[in-house]
Amino acid sequence: MRSILKNALLAAAAALQMFGGAHSQELISNVPRKETLIIENPEGTIKNAGWFNIWAINAGGQSNGLHQLATDTFWYIDPNKGIDGVWDNSLASDKPIYNADFTEMTVKLRKGIFWSDGVEFTSADVLYTVETHMNTKGLRWSAPIQINVASITAPDPYTAVFKLKKPNSRFHALFTVRWNAMWMMPKHIFEKAGDPQKFAFNPPVSLGSYTLNSFDPNGKWFIWQKREDWKRTTLARFGEPGPKYVAYVDAGPPDKRVIAQMNHQLDIIHDTSPEGMFTMAKQAKFSHGWFNTFPYAHPDPTLAAVIFNNQNELLKNRDVRWALALLVDIKAVSMASYRGAASISAIGVPPTGSHPENYHIPMESWLKTFEIDTGKRKIKPYDPGVGKQIAEMLRPSLKDQIPSTPADIAKGFGMGWWKPDPVAAAELLERAGFKKVGAQWMTPDGKPFTIKITVEGEARPVMTRAGSMVAQQWRQFGIDAAITVAQGTLNDRRAAGDFDAIISWSVETWGGHPDLSFFLDSWHSQFVAAPGQPQPPRNWQRWSSPELDKVIEEIRTVGFDDPRGVELGREYVKLAVRDMPSIPLMAYNVFTVMDDTYWTGYPNAVTAPYTDPVPNWGNTKYMMVKLKPKQ
Amino acid sequence: MKSYAAYLLRRFGQFVLVMFIGMNVAFVVTHATPIDPVEQSIAAATSFGSTSPEAIAMMRESLRELYGLQGGIWEQYVGFWKRVVVLDFGPSLSAFPTPVSTLIWRALPWTVGLLLVSTAITWVLGNLLGGLAGYLHNNRTLNVTGLLVMGFHPIPYYIVALLLLIVFGYVWPVLPITGGAQMNMARGWNFDFVVSVVKHSVLPVLSLVMVGLGGWFMGMRSLVSNIVSEDYVVYAELGGVAKSRILRSYVMRNALVPQVTGLAMSLGGIFNGAIITEQVFGYPGIGALMIDAVHAGDYSLVLGLTSVSIVAVSAAVLLIDMLYPLLDPRVKLA
Repeated sequence: MRSILKNALLAAAAALQMFGGAHSQELISNVPRKETLIIENPEGTIKNAGWFNIWAINAGGQSNGLHQLATDTFWYIDPNKGIDGVWDNSLASDKPIYNADFTEMTVKLRKGIFWSDGVEFTSADVLYTVETHMNTKGLRWSAPIQINVASITAPDPYTAVFKLKKPNSRFHALFTVRWNAMWMMPKHIFEKAGDPQKFAFNPPVSLGSYTLNSFDPNGKWFIWQKREDWKRTTLARFGEPGPKYVAYVDAGPPDKRVIAQMNHQLDIIHDTSPEGMFTMAKQAKFSHGWFNTFPYAHPDPTLAAVIFNNQNELLKNRDVRWALALLVDIKAVSMASYRGAASISAIGVPPTGSHPENYHIPMESWLKTFEIDTGKRKIKPYDPGVGKQIAEMLRPSLKDQIPSTPADIAKGFGMGWWKPDPVAAAELLERAGFKKVGAQWMTPDGKPFTIKITVEGEARPVMTRAGSMVAQQWRQFGIDAAITVAQGTLNDRRAAGDFDAIISWSVETWGGHPDLSFFLDSWHSQFVAAPGQPQPPRNWQRWSSPELDKVIEEIRTVGFDDPRGVELGREYVKLAVRDMPSIPLMAYNVFTVMDDTYWTGYPNAVTAPYTDPVPNWGNTKYMMVKLKPKQ
Repeated sequence: MKSYAAYLLRRFGQFVLVMFIGMNVAFVVTHATPIDPVEQSIAAATSFGSTSPEAIAMMRESLRELYGLQGGIWEQYVGFWKRVVVLDFGPSLSAFPTPVSTLIWRALPWTVGLLLVSTAITWVLGNLLGGLAGYLHNNRTLNVTGLLVMGFHPIPYYIVALLLLIVFGYVWPVLPITGGAQMNMARGWNFDFVVSVVKHSVLPVLSLVMVGLGGWFMGMRSLVSNIVSEDYVVYAELGGVAKSRILRSYVMRNALVPQVTGLAMSLGGIFNGAIITEQVFGYPGIGALMIDAVHAGDYSLVLGLTSVSIVAVSAAVLLIDMLYPLLDPRVKLA
């Protein structure tokens, strides 16, 4: 029996070897691996794989290469430095041209751009796209078009003129890619397709340098192929795209992504856990992140924060919010969440892109002198050295992996943060009418001070760990704090205001451009919903401030590139520091890992910060012209 | 014959009742969930994009109309049963306007193929080894096999799956670790595609077999251990009937009756999908589809998938109830 078992095992092993063979070479059929860039599609499996009508809401995939490689629109703003500056005129040949009161926007179009089926892109396509959205309810950009656009005309094939219903100095944002934007529709295809809500647009006709080669009907992979006529696309200004084929794949859970890259089957991991990143950095010499050394991750232009529900009776008082902020030890939060690989921020702007130069560094002196009156004394809560302290804390174990210059430390770990000050926190709570009875803080009406931090659970483990640490710190102080997991229901709870505090982000910026209107306009108190009613994005904290309203109203009247915009942005930062509607924690760091085995030229923080490496961004199309085959 | 017909009629009545209750539970549960498909769609459509609050309000209204969610719960309930009757669950809300049936039919063959094969292997192997181990309880090789099989049984499935991935996907990379077939391969009944599908199913099947074998093994061994001490087995042994015949005709046949019931339930359960397996191995089946539908608050898709599952399990139970009297004459029909 033993020999039978042994023989059976040997036979199975031999069969596996023969059957499996060198399967890494057989990853893709009929497409040479050396000419193919393989990227993780963070959307996972696209259940409606054969749907490429990106104008219908939520109907198919988007990050499967469709909006990175096949669609195009007027302008792009890069979250980092950009391939040729932050702003790129893509389908437009120039920046938006507004009239004096921002009620009209003229767009000059680039000539010689063609759809992948050989039809030239002209203002007729622009007109068709806009008018279709004006006349159809429920398309992805129907609502903003119907709210803003009175009419559109095309005086010639390369000009489009928008007449707006009301002044809007940021109307161009609708056609400006930060992550995505309103993409142009091919008139010659859609006008024959019938109902635009029910047209799958399969195969898609592309304006980008790639067109669809093939896809899995079950949504696991999409392969795009470089157009023969790539020179007739907007990307051609920067050279020929390197990869002939680009495959977007569902790479599975984090462990599998790591295995796949170790086997050179996945060139770009969209995101992995800090632990996965550290393993790759240590073991896989061909893999690297945005930073070559710790903290590796790309700090996205979104700001993870403890967002208070400012309509909650207990949290309406800013003294209470500040007390809670002064109980947070950001070093412990950084270690718990990102194992130290976090880029912290004390202010309501993420420390990424151009923001350190425009906000963090210029505001440092103001932050150092900023005072809080606890009722008993005035304190200066800002500690400018926290980023450095985190770096020093990690240095003994990570040694030369930790950057040494102050500038590099600030870039990787952030600058300062608030000093934990339980005494001041107690004074602030007492001034707000709270009392400590035994070990427990009580509310002004004599009940235990209870606060729940809503987190996403396994869906976003890093943020969940941050929330757990904050809750622990509050609990140690005598507040009945705990986390509550809202996996799968976070969107609904956040919109409904069904939380005391939530770990999320309500600040998203352009990154490369200092203008803050991307998120700030929606923070105007005119949009704050009544308790229980759904809150439109992004003022999840439901913060109302007449002073902030004035800032926002003035931003609406100044041009996008007007230096006054940055000044007003700094006014917002000061108000947000004073009121603490949410406790800023850190940039949302994404551990994108790139494999140099087949391709070189990926963006990185030090020598080539030309775009966001996180591959679900529309901007990653610029990566294609920088990537070259490894010789 | 008359009593068998009455028995069938009663069982069929129960089948209809079970389905009715199951469908109602599915409707109530999906509509009681705090996840709103409109809010999910808005979140997906506006994430990372600049959209004004007025536009969001307008979008919310348009989507409610588009998805047919404007009516009250009673109208939706009536609409649900109308669709069930004609087996049309309408368009998926998170993949609008693709019909739910299209999504299900696209994913179902993968799950059915995977689970049918792994269930069949697990059942046959588990019962065979369990039966032998119960009857030949002094056999050392069978005892060692039993230890191995039982050793894997309590290990959490995810761990076993991960172990297989590491061993055969990284340490000794001979098998693909993701998907149902090789990328970019022409689909169809051709040799290359079939080999690729089989190759991609080896690890998922192996993981299911390794973890599932213990249950059938243990069940069969216990049943056989009890049966071998029954009078009719002892008499057969005393009467000099060949051991192989005793095992085959006296022991295994009787022990198999409850195992066949279990098999029917398992086969019905195939339509529930193998959620963890499909997640871990990136297999394109209905388990992954269900998870996605739940997260997106896609009532239509969840109800479609749940209905398929309810019908399948109920039908399997009905079928086995119909076959029971033929398999085991001791079953009373009255």
